[in-house]
Amino acid sequence: MTLPLSDVPLEVHDMSVAYHQKPVLYGIDLAVPAGNLIGIVGPNGAGKSTFIKAIMGLLPLSSGWVKVFGKPYAENCRRVGYVPQRESVDWDFPVNVMDVVLMGRYGRLRLGQRPSRQDHDVARECLEKVHMLPYAKRQIGNLSGGQQQRVFLARALAQESDLYLMDEPFVGVDAATESAIITLLRELKTRGKTVLVVHHDLSSARDYFDMLMLLNMRLVAFGPTPEVFTSEMLQTTYGGRLTILSEVVETLGGGTK
Amino acid sequence: MNQLIPAFDFHRVVIAPWTEGFAFSIWIVLMGVLVGTACGLVGNYLLLRRMALVGDAISHSILLGLIVAFLIFRHVDTPVMFAGALAAGLLTVAIIEFIHKQTRVKVDSAICIAFTSLFALGVTLVSLAESAGPVHIDADCVLYGEIALVPLEPPILWGQVALGPPSVLRMAVVTGVLIVGILCFYKELLITSFDPALAKSMGLKTGVWHYGLMTALSLVVVSAFESVGAILAVAMLIVPAMFAAQLSPCLPVRLVLTIGHAVISALLGYHLSIWLKCSAAGAMVVCGSLLFALAWAVTALRARRPVSTSEPESSGLQSAATLPG
Amino acid sequence: MKARHPALLLLAAILLPQFAYAARISELTETGLAERAVRFFTLQDPSLRFALVGSILLGISCGLMGAFLVVRKLALMSDALSHAVLPGVALGFLWNMTKDPVAIFIGATVAGLLGAGLVQAIRNTTRQKEDAALGFVLASFFAVGVCLVTMIQNLPGGNKSGLDKFMFGQAAALGPGDVMLLGGVTILAVVIVLAFYKEFLVTSFDAAFAISVGIPARVFHYVLMVLLAFAIVSSLQAVGVVLVSAMLVIPAAAAYLLTDRLGMMLVLSAIFGVTTGAVGAFFSYVGRNLPTGPLMVLAATAVFLAALLLGPRHGVLSRWWRHRSRSARIGRENMLKVMYHVLEEEGFRGETVPLRDLAEARREAIEDVQVEMRSLRSHGLVTISGDGQAAVFTPDGWKRACEIVRNHRLWELYLTHAANYALDHVHEDADKIEHILGEDTVRLLEKRLNYAHRDPHGKLIPGLADIHSGGPARIHPAT
Repeated sequence: MTLPLSDVPLEVHDMSVAYHQKPVLYGIDLAVPAGNLIGIVGPNGAGKSTFIKAIMGLLPLSSGWVKVFGKPYAENCRRVGYVPQRESVDWDFPVNVMDVVLMGRYGRLRLGQRPSRQDHDVARECLEKVHMLPYAKRQIGNLSGGQQQRVFLARALAQESDLYLMDEPFVGVDAATESAIITLLRELKTRGKTVLVVHHDLSSARDYFDMLMLLNMRLVAFGPTPEVFTSEMLQTTYGGRLTILSEVVETLGGGTK
Repeated sequence: MNQLIPAFDFHRVVIAPWTEGFAFSIWIVLMGVLVGTACGLVGNYLLLRRMALVGDAISHSILLGLIVAFLIFRHVDTPVMFAGALAAGLLTVAIIEFIHKQTRVKVDSAICIAFTSLFALGVTLVSLAESAGPVHIDADCVLYGEIALVPLEPPILWGQVALGPPSVLRMAVVTGVLIVGILCFYKELLITSFDPALAKSMGLKTGVWHYGLMTALSLVVVSAFESVGAILAVAMLIVPAMFAAQLSPCLPVRLVLTIGHAVISALLGYHLSIWLKCSAAGAMVVCGSLLFALAWAVTALRARRPVSTSEPESSGLQSAATLPG
Repeated sequence: MKARHPALLLLAAILLPQFAYAARISELTETGLAERAVRFFTLQDPSLRFALVGSILLGISCGLMGAFLVVRKLALMSDALSHAVLPGVALGFLWNMTKDPVAIFIGATVAGLLGAGLVQAIRNTTRQKEDAALGFVLASFFAVGVCLVTMIQNLPGGNKSGLDKFMFGQAAALGPGDVMLLGGVTILAVVIVLAFYKEFLVTSFDAAFAISVGIPARVFHYVLMVLLAFAIVSSLQAVGVVLVSAMLVIPAAAAYLLTDRLGMMLVLSAIFGVTTGAVGAFFSYVGRNLPTGPLMVLAATAVFLAALLLGPRHGVLSRWWRHRSRSARIGRENMLKVMYHVLEEEGFRGETVPLRDLAEARREAIEDVQVEMRSLRSHGLVTISGDGQAAVFTPDGWKRACEIVRNHRLWELYLTHAANYALDHVHEDADKIEHILGEDTVRLLEKRLNYAHRDPHGKLIPGLADIHSGGPARIHPAT
């Protein structure tokens, strides 16, 4: 498909990332078409979270570049919504649900500008969408895992972005929340948004996503789920075919230290 | 023991300071309130970022900045003092980060190494300078501070009107700037403390806010330094914020509670120090700590009381909190 | 024997500095330092003897405890405890208004343990984080101490209490009682650490595992805390409340930079502790009224900096040196590779490579190429001929050039075949990997790629025969 560059939500070229000089991702090339629900799948330590963090510049790239809607990330960061892993924040933090969702609006506010009434309205709407509006005034530590995840999702919705990056949104949530989340993601998709979801559960990956990205240190396959979800591809991703690569890359890391 | 703890004379302890020594008392209490407020506000953010002990580190190493600034410029006025403190504070943070990131030494040891080394250097320089001539900074004052000397400073004049002792005015300006800063940048400070990854993904410079906070910390501590000393400044950073955290799960409320804590502990501490004839700054911190103990006891008792049916909301909270994940 | 190993080393750690001292005494007296330095090393003052022995003892006990603190990430606990003992010191003094070492020891230990308990209680019963709990105990106990000390100073005779010496320490004020106490604590620490070395090792490394094999990790934690309190309290008179934690942490952190084994770390840490203690005592004595604590800490910092810079494996200098020599080697290898490419362009018809062509291929000035060629020549990789305008491979240089080119092309082939790389992305990566592929990996790659002869761009991959042919003359021309 040939789209004008600015319509490609995410383009990644030859991205390599190293953690403490130990390579985690290696030469990733990718162009994500708009309006898809994409699962990022791979074994533990395959660099799934690293991948989406690197897209947003949270981790430095050791090579390659990233473009979001045809521009470097920093210039288009407003068009990206992010759902971090739930454990990444301190849930004893003195804020309530509403405060957290309002944070989704901060990217649109100037330095020192306060959230307006309109921002509050958007935040309320987003909370309503995840059925959390009755909890708006509750301290975030007093929520269940599933509720916390919904709050994070509402916050991402409040960012009103075109590309969403979600890090393991299904971990530690109850079945009701899981189905609520997937309904929401599908709705986002029908509205033309692009959603990338780091996912660790192979069995549900097939049903949830229309495209899959198989990742194990490097991109093994990327394409529509029926094409990619084959035993051969999964074998490559989860099996040991890339052992030389990881061994060599390991010595590369050790050597520079 | 009788000599140690003087009899409690209500008139001497409570009435006289305000009837006979008002001009004296007001400045000490005001200074205590201002120090407690400024330190406490910064301390709230330090606690949220789990950096309480970085505050400890910086308030120690500021001594080095002060004495080096003094040795270079041979006088200590506000700009020189601020420059020295700022340099020392940022140097401490940089050393901690260097040791932590470049070596295998963990961050707790790195903090300890950084500030004890800089503090030791500072104390040694102060002692050496003392033997060479009079120094504005005194090593013991570094530890206790001399808040009782505040009213004795020659006041700053505005025309013919005496405004007040310079250290109180300086502290007031710093506190004012800090409050304005927090009001203006509340949302940036909130998001960089709560979820730095999200903040960064939105294009905020988390490093700038981090160093900004460290700058505020350095300026607040150096302004408080002479009156309360290094270690009691740590107390002023941590104790009010802990008190507030114990009582409220809401950040703006915590910030207000911090100010209340500063006022109460400064007042109580001042009178305690008159009663016991001890260091006023020390007594203020003791009162502040007791306030925390009180808050702790209250919350502990409240948690122990069985959840009554009149609080359906909180019983819902508890069951939600115990869910897995 | 293995189990006795740390024990022997420890003994050595205790004894060695004494010998080192004997050696240094003669050395320094001859150079004729100031009179006080002479008096220091001849140990004329009895108070000096106490100060020195005390400093050495505290170096041992603090060094040992510090090593455990550093590996257990409890450095800030020591900071909190050392400040928290102040009210205990003041109360111990109040017992009979003298600096009775035993009363102060008891008071301070009780205060320290109370502080440790309070940290635990805050963590267990509130949502406050650990750093806040530590900071709270540190500051509030210290404030109580400050109040008590200032109250004592207002008492008749309180001004001369000498309590202020507990802030920054004065080794010269050590009396026989203090030294006895230090000796007792040090012996206790050494004996307990030797007796329970393996228990301390396993509980420090993996407490959960220790519990699962029946070692009461909690008990050992408390034993360590009590020993820590003892070490802190007995060192107060010499180092002072404010800086005791530095004497615990800095020597141990320096040792941590130098060794990878806990046993050795304990020994080094004790040695560093002793050295810094003695050096601090020396300067404090020579400098008359300088407080001992800060000087000891500065000595410890110097040791730490030395370990940071000069450490053989983790040191900044050695790392910088390794990095430098590595990038120099990569630079040379890249030049060899370009020489190979130039010859390959010509179909390996000649042996000499004109520097002009090299400069062109690398888009560099000819002067730069000349400089790099001289480095290659000094490493025996090339000879320079034709008035310095051309280079010829030596057999060694040819071998390395072939290896690099082979590595590069093999890697490109591997990436395109096994790892589904796009052809236009493999080159940059191979440029990095070619310098670090070991022979074993190369064998593995060749096997995986069925001993292919051509890289994805269709170029020949040099084989073993080419590598050992000694020069480009006998390579078959590329077709």
